[in-house]
Amino acid sequence: MYNKEETLRKLLKQDEYNFGAITFFAKLHKGDTCGSNGLPLTPNSIIIYGQAQSLKTFTSPYLCQYLDIIRGKHERTVVVSQYCGKPLSESIGKSQFQVNDIKRIAFQIITALDILHKKDIVHRNLSTENILLQHDGNIKLFNYGLYHMTCNGKLVSFPILQLIYTAPEVYLAGPNATKSSCRSDIWSLGMILVELVLDQPLWANLKLGQRIRKVLSMIHSNTSVFERIAREHNCFEVYENLDGGLKEFIENCLTVMTKDRPHSKDLVNKNIFNEFSAANQQPRSKVIKEFKTFTIADFYHWWQLAGGDVLQELKKQGLIRSSPPILSMPSLVLLDGSILGQERNPMTLYDPRVALMPLEALYDRLKDVTVTEFYPLFHCNSKIIKNSETNKYDIDLPLIIREKNTEYQFQRIIIFRRLLHSYPYGIDFLISAAEIDIPPWLRGEIWAAILRIKGDYENEYLLIDKETPTNTDRQIEVDIPRCHQYNEFLSSAEGHRKLKRILKAWVHKNSQYVYWQGLDSLTAPFLFLNFNNEALAFACLSSFVPKYLHKFFLKDNSTVIQEYLAKFSQLIAFHDPVLANHLYEINFIPELFAIPWFLTMFSHVFPLHKILHLWDKLLLGDSSFPLHIGLSVLTQLRARLLSSGFNECILLFSDLPEVDIEKCVKLSLETYKNTPKSITTRLHQNEEYYPITKDFNISDISTRELNKERCARISTTDVVKLINDLKDNIVIVDIRNPTQYNGCASEKSINIPFSSVKFGEVGIESLGLHGNMLCNNTEKNVVVVGSEDTDLTLFPKFLLECNVHRVCVLHGGFDSLLAAKPSISFVYHDRNNVH
Amino acid sequence: MLETENLKLFEYQVLNGTITTYINIPYEGSIEELAHVLILNEKLPKYMAKDLIKSLSQFIEKHTIILEDEHITKLLLNGKESTDFEDVTKEWEKLIKEEMAEYGEQRCASDEELFATAYHKMVHSRALETMLQLEHMYAKIVRKRCEEKNRQINDMSEKQTLEMNKALEHLEEDMAEMKINQLVSQQFEDQSFLQIQLTSELDTIKEAQRREYREWLMQMLEENQANSSLPTPNSPLSPPPIPIPAMMPYTDNSINPILEESFTIHLGSQLKQMHNIRILSSNVMDLCAIIDSECSEPMPQTLQTALNLYSNDLHGLVLMADNIIGSRAIKEFKDICQSSTEFHFNNIEDQLDKIISLQNEFKRSKGTADQRKSTKHLQPGDFYMTKHSNLSQSHVIFHIIVDDSVKCNDINSRHPVVLGLRNILKVACSNDVTSLTIPLLLNYEMTEEMTISWCEKRAELVFKCIKGFMIEMASWGGSDLKNLQFMLPQGISSEVFQSLTEMLPRIFKVSNPLILT
Repeated sequence: MYNKEETLRKLLKQDEYNFGAITFFAKLHKGDTCGSNGLPLTPNSIIIYGQAQSLKTFTSPYLCQYLDIIRGKHERTVVVSQYCGKPLSESIGKSQFQVNDIKRIAFQIITALDILHKKDIVHRNLSTENILLQHDGNIKLFNYGLYHMTCNGKLVSFPILQLIYTAPEVYLAGPNATKSSCRSDIWSLGMILVELVLDQPLWANLKLGQRIRKVLSMIHSNTSVFERIAREHNCFEVYENLDGGLKEFIENCLTVMTKDRPHSKDLVNKNIFNEFSAANQQPRSKVIKEFKTFTIADFYHWWQLAGGDVLQELKKQGLIRSSPPILSMPSLVLLDGSILGQERNPMTLYDPRVALMPLEALYDRLKDVTVTEFYPLFHCNSKIIKNSETNKYDIDLPLIIREKNTEYQFQRIIIFRRLLHSYPYGIDFLISAAEIDIPPWLRGEIWAAILRIKGDYENEYLLIDKETPTNTDRQIEVDIPRCHQYNEFLSSAEGHRKLKRILKAWVHKNSQYVYWQGLDSLTAPFLFLNFNNEALAFACLSSFVPKYLHKFFLKDNSTVIQEYLAKFSQLIAFHDPVLANHLYEINFIPELFAIPWFLTMFSHVFPLHKILHLWDKLLLGDSSFPLHIGLSVLTQLRARLLSSGFNECILLFSDLPEVDIEKCVKLSLETYKNTPKSITTRLHQNEEYYPITKDFNISDISTRELNKERCARISTTDVVKLINDLKDNIVIVDIRNPTQYNGCASEKSINIPFSSVKFGEVGIESLGLHGNMLCNNTEKNVVVVGSEDTDLTLFPKFLLECNVHRVCVLHGGFDSLLAAKPSISFVYHDRNNVH
Repeated sequence: MLETENLKLFEYQVLNGTITTYINIPYEGSIEELAHVLILNEKLPKYMAKDLIKSLSQFIEKHTIILEDEHITKLLLNGKESTDFEDVTKEWEKLIKEEMAEYGEQRCASDEELFATAYHKMVHSRALETMLQLEHMYAKIVRKRCEEKNRQINDMSEKQTLEMNKALEHLEEDMAEMKINQLVSQQFEDQSFLQIQLTSELDTIKEAQRREYREWLMQMLEENQANSSLPTPNSPLSPPPIPIPAMMPYTDNSINPILEESFTIHLGSQLKQMHNIRILSSNVMDLCAIIDSECSEPMPQTLQTALNLYSNDLHGLVLMADNIIGSRAIKEFKDICQSSTEFHFNNIEDQLDKIISLQNEFKRSKGTADQRKSTKHLQPGDFYMTKHSNLSQSHVIFHIIVDDSVKCNDINSRHPVVLGLRNILKVACSNDVTSLTIPLLLNYEMTEEMTISWCEKRAELVFKCIKGFMIEMASWGGSDLKNLQFMLPQGISSEVFQSLTEMLPRIFKVSNPLILT
């Protein structure tokens, strides 16, 4: 028996899974300025938002992981990051460290700095306050990205520095200087080590200005800076007796002339660190990524689902204080935008305090999680075991509710983490799990798996030229600042840059295609989901387009679009003859409204959160699924369409009204499942994904012919399938003349001779008994079977006009049915009569 | 932010020569990508990538460091020579003190903030009713005194007119011109004296009320906190008289029926942001004045105003003013403000005085360098703001400066008053004013030139501009404007009203009704 409490504690309640938040305000844009493109400037908080995203990808034992960036009202930014252990400053003066401990700390800091410097990030904020000492004696740097995310401090009004740790050249350069050198951080490291060695805070009793002067005075020092500081603190003996290696290291760090100060990459390989660096190198497989059941980022996600609210917590802990806005109104505003009489709100000053987030609510939510949920079974032959793991969550609940349920998402994420780790092995498991639903947290990776992204997509992306100017650049530049700009990712400067690169890469890679407006919207969901993985976003786009939008981006795409829209019209007629007839009568053809729908797979007409739910299902379907989505959108607006004329319809669709996306998805799935495949099969669909088999082949129809036919054609294979299907949902209407019919006919067919129908008058009654039956039909597929000498458009059209549901025409007529003889049975009325 | 161009020539030896390219230092892109672009452009064999990347990174690193060092070394050497770092230290010190809470001056909450917190807390407690009752009674006292004051002044005026008439009748006889003049000045003096005396009396009452009220409120809060439960609050005034059976306040709707229509609109092409819009025709002062009813119950609107006063949902109103701050153009508004005690903010005259001195100070600081033709007065499109707690439906008033040009038929979207509206929306959005009333015709009075076509043209302009500003506002990161009211002058014909309400759905996208099935 295992102790449940104990196991859960080990799995969940680890010290590492703690996080905190800091908050600050971005600088406001002065007055009324516009960007070079004439559009309003992006607020600085959004630029920070985009700039900070890449920090989330840094994982190192010596760095606190960044978890989230949140934009509050009025340019507030909140940064959530791992926070565990105690600040190093709390250990100073307690004789806590031996020389070896200090060396190890030095090694870990320099390793962390090296990671940052390799990515061209300057810390600028290094101090004993934001180095966190863990229980095991290791350290983690905290808040190392502030200088980077604020574009080297340009986007905030407060200075990013730590008084006594900041290097003299930073002070000398003044507050408005350009990016500091990486080697300024090395100086800060030196100062921190001095503090550790002397075991006391430096210049503790000096005032603000004096401390700055103190740091600046170091540049006059002709002897060792370290020695001088030691003497000033009456610790010369400590200095003298210090381990030689460490002393040299510190003195290296505290080199006054920046050009002579070593870089982190030189320091990290110093001999004094040999023992640590050896211990640090664990053998790792190059092929298999390290697997973690879940990450701190997942943990943070669950915490949010369990009701965790960072802003609320910051308010509770006094880091967000607000005074009533009416007390700080300006009193005079001039036409040029100058605002007078508004005092600086003291609440907007930079306060470096960290608010730790309480985790009790999450622990409480997850207290009933069983250990087996951490380690789910996938391959299992034993039915007993399988059944014992019945799902305790109701998957029939609305998706929105499931997505917000902590326990459910916990279970889903654990499952998908495993499936993604084994990918591409076990893709079928992944697909069937994705058919239930896709946890939003892992959507980016899951989509990539469903799109079968494999291999070295990163390198492929690297090889593409995304910089050289081309003649589509101008259009791309125009489109990007208009693409889903309500979203912070896509409106940030970083988002614009990435979107441009992906689009240029796509244009470069697909020389057979051209850039059509709408490609930007199509890329948006992929970029949104893989903001920190441009290459993956590109790979997804590159795999999505041939699957769903094959040939749509040809320079002359009219035939492809024409066929698509014709199929769309036929699908409407198949499922909803009343609506189809109405739209036909007022001449409101799909060409007028549906092109942007299909060209962008609805990503131009819906907001991102709706596109994500829609595409969750789209990606699991084939290229006909979008037609069903289109149909379901029309169905939702059916009542309004039926009561509107041409002008109202145009107006209605010029800005698509709100559509209930869950309803839309449900309906599309329904029609998708109960529509015979050949109804929506297109000539121009990608053969690579959808091989056109001989039976499916309805390829000898030109688009012109297709446009004339209001009812879809169905393939023999589908008809055979329907006939043999136990559900009995087919009515075969044989319109050959009675002689032919009586000669030989399909068993379940009825005969309405073409010649007997009076097409002049629209009225199903004229068909007699059969007519009634057809009229009441909503479920069954009405397959019209003719022969070469019967007109195959007039009669189906007649049925359609009589509002008969699910009318389709057998491609190839009776002869093709006859060819499938052994699998279906025929009757010979004549012979029966004879007998 | 454009860094200065700093191109360095990169040279790379290949079999049959050298390839060269200029690289901007510091280089911000990916070095690998740069290498592959070079390979593509120069048609180099792919196997060279690894080596090319290596030499590129070395080259870039070298030059980045050179660039950095050049600058920093110069700084440090200069630093070494000087002995005094006063300027640079002062600069940093100032910045740090101004921007960082740790080093800034420790600051206690002001009285204003304390009272605000107290009031906000109490107004959202059971004490609300008593507070409003009390405010209402105070207001009634002031209003009575105001009426009394007006009556006395009127009386005096009448008396003086009689006196003057009498005097004039006798002018030919025994009254010398000099004597008349004497009388005039005497009368003026009397009049002024009475005016000052009564005003000062009134101010004293108000001051006393204000003090009494604030003390009472703070005391009540203390009691509440002490008892932690909420006792039934006691009003310092005698208990209100037994309410007179509720009577509908008398408003004359028969002559000018209130015309109004509401819409829910959405903005944005993909993500749709909802807003409420209302068009109404009424006297704009109705949004300020608390109707004086004999009824002892305060008006329901005051309740809403009190609840939101210190919240993040303020109500704003745009009024028209001329270029002199606090001139006669806003006299009617000032009278309304004066007709009851302002318990929270400075009274209107003080607020206006402050704005005037602010303006003077600004002019002085700008000095003669200012290019504006006349800096003496405000310009059309400028606006000043006053805040109030004793108006019926508004907390913040935007007094926008207009001149006669708004009467023209052909103003466009670049007109200063329209741009001023944009600034108003911006200020509203960044200061949590979430309900705003705007004059749709940029005028609150019906005048002769306002023909149907004039009104339609003007309304179209304002609708379209406001729509544009609202879309722009979405990216400012402030609070959303939840309710927007377009005000039309009282007495506008119902045909014009109808044509304008029909215009709105053509310009704004009206939301579809949500049909529950």
